[in-house]
Amino acid sequence: MLYPDRMTTIQTTTPQRCETRYFGPVDYDESAILVFPDGIPAFEQETRFLALQQPVNKPLVFLQSLSNPGLCFATLPAQAACPGYQLNMSPEDLDAIGLGGGPQPAIGSEVLCLAILSLEENAPPTVNLLAPIVVNLHTLRGRQAIQADSPYSHREALPLRGAACS
Amino acid sequence: MRRRAGESILIGDDIEIQILHIGESRIKIGIVAPKSIPVTMKEMELVRQENLAAAQVRSVAALRGMLDKLIDGPAEITP
Repeated sequence: MLYPDRMTTIQTTTPQRCETRYFGPVDYDESAILVFPDGIPAFEQETRFLALQQPVNKPLVFLQSLSNPGLCFATLPAQAACPGYQLNMSPEDLDAIGLGGGPQPAIGSEVLCLAILSLEENAPPTVNLLAPIVVNLHTLRGRQAIQADSPYSHREALPLRGAACS
Repeated sequence: MRRRAGESILIGDDIEIQILHIGESRIKIGIVAPKSIPVTMKEMELVRQENLAAAQVRSVAALRGMLDKLIDGPAEITP
């Protein structure tokens, strides 16, 4: 016997498929979409991303735009790039990801904190630890947040040196 | 031009920079400007440029190769 209700349920949980810059077509679930209400600086129209990981490429995390298959940022978890990394977000940025009025969020349990990687020829890769991507893990709202009084720049060469990262 | 806390600077007819508070190592500034004029920290421009550069990374393999030399052992990743 068929259960039309159930059939509908199954259909709505069918994964969506998107094209990606590096990995060909990828299936994903709606519930995994990261929403950046203001986009990302220089890409203000791109508001929906997927965080893609491959075991072979750990600890890299790829932020793939859902509306633009050609846009994908390679990132490292900030604490993988710099083990002692701490957030110091502005009240406005905390507000934007639904954590306004609270203390600095805990990386890992409250927020995902990713540093965008950049690669130039004949130079070591750099990470942007001045302005990490911070995503509220409960709401999946995200923002690239310029840190106040940051000891790091937007272009920290890997591997990092200095006491804060040892 | 010298200003104290509570004083302002006017730029043209419709931009006002208010010195709200002067602390030991930082000052709090209020900016009144028309909505058509974006007001951002200078760092925002650096971040924009860096994002544009980062979006040009050509291949994962190139990145992977460089990172393998730099990061020792498997790093824990969350979540």
